[in-house]
Amino acid sequence: MNKRFLTGTVIVLGLLLSGCSTKADALAEAEAATDTAVVEPSPTSVPEAGECLACHTDKQRLIDTAKPEEEGGEAESKGVG
Amino acid sequence: MAPLEPWEKVLVDHETFSQTDHGELTCIQCHGGTNIADKDQAHADMIASPSSQPDVYCAECHEAEVAAYPNSLHNTQAGYWTAINTRNGNIPEDHPELNQMFNNHCATCHTTCGECHVSQPENVGGGLFTGHVFEKTPPMTRSCTACHGSRVGNEFLGKNEGITGDVHFREARMSCVKCHEGADLHGTADAALASDHRLSGAEDPKCIDCHAEVASGTDGIDMHAQHGDGEELSCQVCHSVTYTSCDGCHVAVSETSGNPFFETEATYTTFFIGRNPIQSEDRPYKYVPVRHVPVATTSYEYYGENLLTNFDALPTWVYATPHNIQRFTPQNASCESCHGNAEIFLTADKVQAVELSANQNVIVNTIPGPVDLYLAAMPQPADHTNLLTDSCISCHTEGIRNAPIFPETHIEFSNDSCSGCHKLP
Repeated sequence: MNKRFLTGTVIVLGLLLSGCSTKADALAEAEAATDTAVVEPSPTSVPEAGECLACHTDKQRLIDTAKPEEEGGEAESKGVG
Repeated sequence: MAPLEPWEKVLVDHETFSQTDHGELTCIQCHGGTNIADKDQAHADMIASPSSQPDVYCAECHEAEVAAYPNSLHNTQAGYWTAINTRNGNIPEDHPELNQMFNNHCATCHTTCGECHVSQPENVGGGLFTGHVFEKTPPMTRSCTACHGSRVGNEFLGKNEGITGDVHFREARMSCVKCHEGADLHGTADAALASDHRLSGAEDPKCIDCHAEVASGTDGIDMHAQHGDGEELSCQVCHSVTYTSCDGCHVAVSETSGNPFFETEATYTTFFIGRNPIQSEDRPYKYVPVRHVPVATTSYEYYGENLLTNFDALPTWVYATPHNIQRFTPQNASCESCHGNAEIFLTADKVQAVELSANQNVIVNTIPGPVDLYLAAMPQPADHTNLLTDSCISCHTEGIRNAPIFPETHIEFSNDSCSGCHKLP
């Protein structure tokens, strides 16, 4: 009976230790994966704006495409504001 | 300030801007829109003024300033509402009309972070300062005096014909932020401490923060020794010169264009010393320069009848801090410039009849007499220290407790003016 008990205990402990080892390895792998994800910037996270700058740095293009401005809200005002 | 051309308002200096912290962001990160050549499609859903949502676009880096912004007078415009509500009498039924008026005419002065730090205020047409480069210190004439121009700006820069600009600008080339520091302009994150008017709370900046020798009486100037105690006169009484006042502003909406507009009846220059209508521990001065503000009983009549039913609750000649400080002024040239000179004081004859009641606590009824009178005046006994200053006639009319009865020549003096001559030891 003692022999059976000892054998059983060894098997159970072995399984438990094996389980812990697997879990620890998995956590380490997950953390490593998470670290990697934070450090590496996503290549698509920053929106491109080349067309914006192409126009807004080109004086002539801005002149050509500008809409006539409407009269200001208080253009009919008289006197000092 | 000359308005910018439409293209000029939105031209980006990418070479310079890209070297700055804000230049590390792409256009779309702050302004939205789409990266496409077609203008209309590119601008669809674009955010022209990201800082109108400072908690979304500015707070990540400028946490303290964004926390203060909701309470800043540049955002709340609380000073307007303090005056409007007081003159209205806080009548809830009038608020729809007053709100409409405010939104049409006053709210245009509301200021975002960007309107001080990257572009000219919308109120003066907008437009980037320097190719979208953010300026930690707003450029004075394109930001501060673009809005605060018709009075403060013109006075400070010497743009009023024949009147010299402020010595701090003229001689020392100081800009607004030299005195009005960022923390003052940004306000406080504590809503309980938020200002309801630009003159509420402690006087900040204060002249003696830099000119401490005046208050201590150690500069050897006789007039400072007499008046520099900070109790009787604000510094501007002696050191500012003629400034602008306005009358009769009326607001309405144009029948032809549908745009709101205003019209002021008169603009003129004056220099009048009045009684301080907001005398307090923070601003104890008895006399201050006073400026006429353009409010009239009918200013808002386009929006409704009797919207200013409590008109007399506030003066129309208000505490002023003219920004045209000079070392030498007509009034500090001699004692007689003020003493015995009714011309320099806001007396009742200079106030419109309809505004007499509103200005009762500003009008000067008794002109300070000749200096000889002051020098000959008997000082108060030492045991008068604990007496109320306004209680002199209680004893000195009837001779109670053997008090000397004041002479007939004093009959026109007001009760609160005794200590002006009869100083405590």
